[in-house]
Amino acid sequence: MKKDLLLPLLASIALIAVVGWNYLSIPGVPDWSEEELRLIASLSLDSLPPLPLDPSNLVADDPAAAEFGHRLYFDARLSSNAQVACATCHKPELMFTDGLALAVGVGIGPMHTPSLVGLSYSPWFYWDGRKDSQWAQALAPLEAKHEHATDRVQLLRLISSDTVYRDMYENVFGPLSLPAMLPETGTPQGDAQQQANWNTLERETQTGISQFFANLGKAIAAYERKILPGGTRFDDYAAQVAAGSDDDNTLNNSEKSGLKLFIGKGQCVTCHNGPLFTNHEFHNTGVLAVGGQMPSMGRYDGVRISQKDSFNCLGKFSDASAQECIELRFARDANDLVGAMKTPTLRNISETAPYMHGGQMTDLAQVVNHYNDAPSSMLSHNEAKPLGLRIVERIQLEDFLLTLSAPLATEQKWLVAPDY
Amino acid sequence: MKILIALSLLLSLCFANAADVRLPDLSGVTDRGLKIEIYSELSPLSINQIHSWHVRVLDRNDEILELEELNIFGGMPEHDHGLPTQPEVTTRLDNGDYLLEGVRFHMQGHWQLQVELQLNGVEDTAIIDFDLQ
Repeated sequence: MKKDLLLPLLASIALIAVVGWNYLSIPGVPDWSEEELRLIASLSLDSLPPLPLDPSNLVADDPAAAEFGHRLYFDARLSSNAQVACATCHKPELMFTDGLALAVGVGIGPMHTPSLVGLSYSPWFYWDGRKDSQWAQALAPLEAKHEHATDRVQLLRLISSDTVYRDMYENVFGPLSLPAMLPETGTPQGDAQQQANWNTLERETQTGISQFFANLGKAIAAYERKILPGGTRFDDYAAQVAAGSDDDNTLNNSEKSGLKLFIGKGQCVTCHNGPLFTNHEFHNTGVLAVGGQMPSMGRYDGVRISQKDSFNCLGKFSDASAQECIELRFARDANDLVGAMKTPTLRNISETAPYMHGGQMTDLAQVVNHYNDAPSSMLSHNEAKPLGLRIVERIQLEDFLLTLSAPLATEQKWLVAPDY
Repeated sequence: MKILIALSLLLSLCFANAADVRLPDLSGVTDRGLKIEIYSELSPLSINQIHSWHVRVLDRNDEILELEELNIFGGMPEHDHGLPTQPEVTTRLDNGDYLLEGVRFHMQGHWQLQVELQLNGVEDTAIIDFDLQ
């Protein structure tokens, strides 16, 4: 062989070896070990228990409250510009997300809109867990300047002046009265004028209005408890392997290999565990801060905010006894929670792009590459470690994630606005 | 006949006791040789459910001890983070066990508990390692 051909030949062999290593999959269907079968079963919707009770919300499972909450959820009159409803950001057709990096209500918010699918199983709400119930969560956007930008006094005026709303409210919560000398606006959390208006009210009147406001949240939460995931191709496959069979029609080989990586080498199941593919907890995974924002302190701040929240489980607007507020009473507050964000569900993940707490990643390939690299965190430390996945393995993992989508197990009437 | 009845009674008592004996879900020994036994309300231990433990501390003669202080911390050394909750001893039960409330694990894998106690003014520690499925 001529010497001048040797170098190109060696380079070609090296190139083929690198490409082959990265792209060639190991042929054949994965064999499942007992431990893998146990993990697959643990992720299946068949393992999902009934919805947990919410002792802080006595009307959580009251059908009339859900009907009232459904109406509130889709009503844009619950905003300062009459254009923003809960459904503006949590769109049913996008699995209760909005397809945007950052939420857009009356203004642009600091965070990405999370899905509401199966969220009623979570003990904590918001990316940093600043709320400890779904009803308390539902209240905050109503008064947030970048979201609905209304307030509890304006809402009291709206509900009491709309005969349909008034009847629905009173049917669930009892008589609704409008205090004398009520200002046009007012909340303890708002701008200077709203706060000044609020401070003109007697303490007892303030408490009554806040109780009314809390009740709106409880009705919205009763509606949101209807938003539940449906059985996916993965769930069909889990049932199949649990019964001892394994065909190629439910999941293809790439998807099965992706599942094997998900519960094994990819370590995804460490946090995305259980039938909702989330442990409902908080982790720092080295995701970059949202552009133009300081890195968020995450759960480190969130736990403190939840402990001080007047609408928390231990507060006077909660229906729970102190004994029942077990998550809040034993919430952990420690330095390793700096920068930690809530693990989102992966159910219906293909319909909820972009991803991460600031919508920093546009597609699943970016997400998988991020966990494969496990970069250093801007604040504190990244809990994840580099995975060393080959390119073909990353594609398989992505293929598996796409099997987690299905229509919701929610009655169609809840997925559209009611007739007003 | 009386002997037979006595024997059968004795045997049934033995079996009853054997059935009643429950092994601890977790156990360990402190630096000073005290035994720690943990009986979980959620047994076998599993992830994502908040629950309580009964913690029993015994001396070398298996006598249950009354402590001045008992705290339990935990975490996953591989991931460099703690428990998702901060469990607390809230009550001493009639049988001498301590009720630890607010325990939850959120990940499968290797966990490490640090049991810190104080007896007769002396601090003592036990480390308990275990794998959670």
